[in-house]
Amino acid sequence: MDMNSLDPRVNRLPSITYPVPNEPTAPLDQFGTFEVFVQPKGDKAFQHEGIVHAPNLEMAYVLAKEAFTRRFVCVSLYVVDTANVAVSPITEGDVNIYQRIEDRSDQPGEKLSYEIYHLTRRGKQHVHAGTVLAVNAPDAMVKAKHQFNSGKGICSVWVIQTKNIRFTLPEEKDLWNTLPEKKFRDASAYKGGDKLSVFLQRKQKSSDHSGHSDNADQ
Amino acid sequence: MYGGGNTFEGVKTDSVAHEDQVKLGEFEGRIARGEKIEPSDWMPQLYRKQLIRMIEQHAHSEIIGALPEGTWITRAPGFKRKMALMAKVQDEVGHAQLLYSAAETLGKPREQMIDDLITGKSKYSNVFNYPTFTWGDCCFISWLVDAGAIVNQLANAKGSYGPYCRALERICAEESFHLKYGHHCVIYLATGSSIQREMFQDAINRWWPPMMHFFGPADMISTHTPVLMKWKVKMGTNDDMRNQFLDMYVPKIWELGFTLPDPNLAKNSHTGRWDYTEPDWEEFKRVINGDGPCNKERLEVRRIAEERGRWVRRALKSPQAAYVTPLA
Repeated sequence: MDMNSLDPRVNRLPSITYPVPNEPTAPLDQFGTFEVFVQPKGDKAFQHEGIVHAPNLEMAYVLAKEAFTRRFVCVSLYVVDTANVAVSPITEGDVNIYQRIEDRSDQPGEKLSYEIYHLTRRGKQHVHAGTVLAVNAPDAMVKAKHQFNSGKGICSVWVIQTKNIRFTLPEEKDLWNTLPEKKFRDASAYKGGDKLSVFLQRKQKSSDHSGHSDNADQ
Repeated sequence: MYGGGNTFEGVKTDSVAHEDQVKLGEFEGRIARGEKIEPSDWMPQLYRKQLIRMIEQHAHSEIIGALPEGTWITRAPGFKRKMALMAKVQDEVGHAQLLYSAAETLGKPREQMIDDLITGKSKYSNVFNYPTFTWGDCCFISWLVDAGAIVNQLANAKGSYGPYCRALERICAEESFHLKYGHHCVIYLATGSSIQREMFQDAINRWWPPMMHFFGPADMISTHTPVLMKWKVKMGTNDDMRNQFLDMYVPKIWELGFTLPDPNLAKNSHTGRWDYTEPDWEEFKRVINGDGPCNKERLEVRRIAEERGRWVRRALKSPQAAYVTPLA
């Protein structure tokens, strides 16, 4: 296409000569999703923030850092493949999800470490509640019921096996050191008030002198 | 930035008649109580369809909206403005990612949304089909188009769908920088030389009609959406949003000594609402359907980017056994 853009760089873009696929891309022809958890401060629990699309866990970590911790306060971050998150249903009203999870006897097998996340209200985000040792994800929910059920307001539980999580390593914590230096991205760096009030005073004076009001205000 | 003027499909009166009435009752009860709907909940087909449409259009608008501002990064006056504009453009593209993710929880894969944008099947905000001739145009977008989007986004953040609300909360937090930055740029032009003032006045004159279009067709002629209001998909009528914007920003524009190119624009003291010349809705329809000054360029730039990046995505891809819809 011959582009007649105001931007010369757009006009210099190469035209695509190889055939462009017109068929819609199949749903599987895309990167998988990874769930992102962020720790805003050292004394706060990790909470779910959203997802990223990535070709693998390591790239998911890199993209999550850009997408979710570019400007908000953050001390740590981790990601996990969506397929590795076991989820409970979400309950109605004030019903505690743990009432729906039935106790069962200890199952045989090797005990593995699982992370537990609670949703305390619809519309909020799942927050890390603690770690349990269990043989599988359903067993981890039962264990969580005994260890972390505060008895109120938990409407959904997520369970993730600890070994599936890509954590932030101690030597990577300096990823967020530059956050406070980038003031030019904060609303507080744009104070135009002084310049504006000088301008308005001058405008007021000139309209007083000319004896009639500035008709731009009408 | 940028959410606004969504085009909804006409709602047929019987479009919820085939739904499970017990489940529909529970669903509506939850919304009436002010609770959020989460992806795993039952929802009517119409709710799902219109939300996908709305969130997807919003995401496309972020991606396309970054283009007219993005071309000004190299020409922004001074190092500080360049850094700020770069950060803003990066934010906008980030917002698109957040929004695509939220739409995806409703069952439409991101890849398909991107395809639908490139092929022209789905729409984006009409305002970005207009050209940015000068730095003044770029400042108009940063301040006033963003301001209009914030009016819409703050309203939508109180909607009923959990993932969309969460995305909007993050987006609105970043928008506060965009708005202050945009106003700052305009104050500098307004208090500068006569050439600078003239440049911004010209930008206003060019951008005012698209800005009035931004909030979508007048209530009188737009698709009636009472059921979408009841389900808290749409949080206010197009005219309400337009009026709220005029209320907040017309005085600020006048304060800087600029004029607006509409002799009928005034606040009506009886109704408490703004009177204005009815925008040209024929032009709106023509442009949104592809015949605007920049439609072709915007989609072409997007398509070239998609094609040029294809080999990178292919190289990165690891075999994916099964696609899993994201959780929240």
